[in-house]
Amino acid sequence: MSMSDEALRGEVEAWLAAHWKGVPAHSESFGRDPRSEWLAKVRDAGWAVPRWSSEWQGRGLSNDQAKIVERAFAKVGAPGAGQDRSNLWANTALAHATDSFKREIVPQLLAGEVGMCLLYSEPGAGSDLAAVRTRADKVDGGWRVTGQKVWTSGARVADYGMLIARTDWDVPKHRGISFFFLPMKQQGVEVRPLRQITDEAHFNEVFIDNAFIPEENLLGPLNGGWGVLQTALAYERSVMGDGARGPRSGADEPKGDTALLALAREAGRLDDAVVRQDVAQVIAWRVLNKLNTARAKAELAQGTSSPIMSLGKLAMSRILHEEARVRTMLLGPESLLEGPDHPRAEDANFLSLNAYFTSIGGGTDQIQRNIIGERVLSLPKEPEIDRTIPFREVRAG
Amino acid sequence: MTDTLVRPPMSAAALDADDRAALVESVRRLLADRCTEADVRRIMDSESGHDPALWRALADLGVVGLVAPEAAGGAGLGPVELGMVMEEAGAALLPAPLISTALATTLAPDLPGVADGSRIAAVAFAGSHDWTGRSDVRLDGDRLSGTARFVPDAAIADVIVVASDDGVFAVERGDVEVTPLPVFDRTRRMADVAFYGPATRIGDAARVKATRDLGMVALAGEQAGGARRMLEITVAYATDRHQFGRAIGSFQAIKHMAADLLLESESATSAARDAARQLAEDAPTVDAAVALAAFACADAFVRVAKDGVQMHGGIAFTWDHPAHLYLRRARSGAQLFGDSAVWRERYIQALEAQA
Repeated sequence: MSMSDEALRGEVEAWLAAHWKGVPAHSESFGRDPRSEWLAKVRDAGWAVPRWSSEWQGRGLSNDQAKIVERAFAKVGAPGAGQDRSNLWANTALAHATDSFKREIVPQLLAGEVGMCLLYSEPGAGSDLAAVRTRADKVDGGWRVTGQKVWTSGARVADYGMLIARTDWDVPKHRGISFFFLPMKQQGVEVRPLRQITDEAHFNEVFIDNAFIPEENLLGPLNGGWGVLQTALAYERSVMGDGARGPRSGADEPKGDTALLALAREAGRLDDAVVRQDVAQVIAWRVLNKLNTARAKAELAQGTSSPIMSLGKLAMSRILHEEARVRTMLLGPESLLEGPDHPRAEDANFLSLNAYFTSIGGGTDQIQRNIIGERVLSLPKEPEIDRTIPFREVRAG
Repeated sequence: MTDTLVRPPMSAAALDADDRAALVESVRRLLADRCTEADVRRIMDSESGHDPALWRALADLGVVGLVAPEAAGGAGLGPVELGMVMEEAGAALLPAPLISTALATTLAPDLPGVADGSRIAAVAFAGSHDWTGRSDVRLDGDRLSGTARFVPDAAIADVIVVASDDGVFAVERGDVEVTPLPVFDRTRRMADVAFYGPATRIGDAARVKATRDLGMVALAGEQAGGARRMLEITVAYATDRHQFGRAIGSFQAIKHMAADLLLESESATSAARDAARQLAEDAPTVDAAVALAAFACADAFVRVAKDGVQMHGGIAFTWDHPAHLYLRRARSGAQLFGDSAVWRERYIQALEAQA
């Protein structure tokens, strides 16, 4: 690619000027995308995955040139560019699917024409994901799957689920797992909403009973699913920001790092020395987390790996739990209430429960501490007694 | 030791990333050679708590006059470089009057001999800048009276600089009464200084707050560096030490503490460097940044040192193990220039002022 940066910027800006007219808002990363008509245009023009080769709808651009494309899209607020960094599904398929399946699925994924969900966790395999017991048994032309998955967002609207299932029970647990694209719209796949502690239902349970997966929907080698999962999880971690949401009521909610200060003022508590100390400390944690992230990015940009990236989740868990605690303290007995007439109480109570979305979701903080201890600080791993024995013999429950 | 900052740059802003890395590396090498744990213990057990030969070596390297203007014989560098040097000093527990000298050469660049290390200056904050709440220094005409308490490095100082609301004053060592204090952290000596005579006005009160901020940035760097080194020592021990047939660091009880301490020490580093940068740029939010660094770094170092001792177990309960030296240093720094509660209050005041 010898095109100059200037020419590239000119081309992408001209293309956007000719085609971009706005699309419906869409914040979910699951399910069919209402913007797919636009996304298909972006894909066909080669802007969706500019770092990929032209064989896969890309342009073979360098990272720096691809950023020019992304910036041009960001400038006008147009979605769809830079999916070679952000599209978990397409990246996983590109890396591990067979060529024929890739040709079918990747273009659809880039345009959001198919809805996707994740079928990893099970009631008996949460932190210990390699303990999955959903089974996929070989049959003519594919596999038959039976088992139960949980914490699945978007399952009701998904066309495919990225599934890990056990395909060999006579080898140790990491070596008998395979990775599939499971067609969701079929007999034998039942989706039930899961009611959360916040009384919402963002997740589902998925009951799979003798569902069918065609041969070509296997990603990576048979029994090599653990490796595929690692690359998929790496993509997921790199694109997932702070998954926690803001307050539920949204009623004139103060925003930004110092929102807590505004809330304390509103509650008439800023003359209380204890409140002042706690508010200062929680705001400080927020600012420190931002400073850490900025430093990590600067270190990564210089090419040195940064240990700091892995700390954001722990930092955010503490921030969210403590922010909710201080909000509750500001309210006093009003925090006993809920409902639309008590939006601040509703928020404080919701946030104190939803903080677990961050401290449990995506791997508990305890698992994250293991990861930091082992991968960043190089502390030795805990012995795993089930690592080397056939999975069939592992104690479960 | 032949390393020197041979080419002082035109201005602080002119020192690029490579020069800064070279500066840090030269300081690190000097300290690895001349400020080992044995050196720290020797200096800490000495009468003065000061090693003139080490101070000379630091001066030769250009570190003593780091933030003094070039015209005054200094390197003319700024808060960012000072913070980086202090990270190394903190990691090595360097017992030397670096912060006092940075304060003095900023308040009074023309004080003879201080920037080149031939004389040592101690700085007493008075009036509204008195962080001890215990001092009663007063100016009557051209005479100072009263006592400044907990003045770092006063017992080895040739000159005492008083930073007050009425201006900056210098008093020769012979014209004050210095009473060394029996300090808990013997790597950071302090003394009470009683004034009873004439003082020379050498600077304006307008400089005092920014100078205190510079001192805070230096201290924050020292604490961040100390926290990082203490965590390294602790993680290394948890990797080597075996009980129940396993490295103790393989137990989640230890591993999880280490992960939490990494968050603390990295946050301290981020806060210290951000405050240094904002002070160098005289950013509009510098008050908040300095206040944040003050309590974040103090609290982080205390927690890392404290938990680090716990994670070691019995070995760190002994005098001969270095862990307590870090804990002592962390505890002394957590008082210096005001404790964390004071700085959290200043932080929220700065945020209120921004809003």
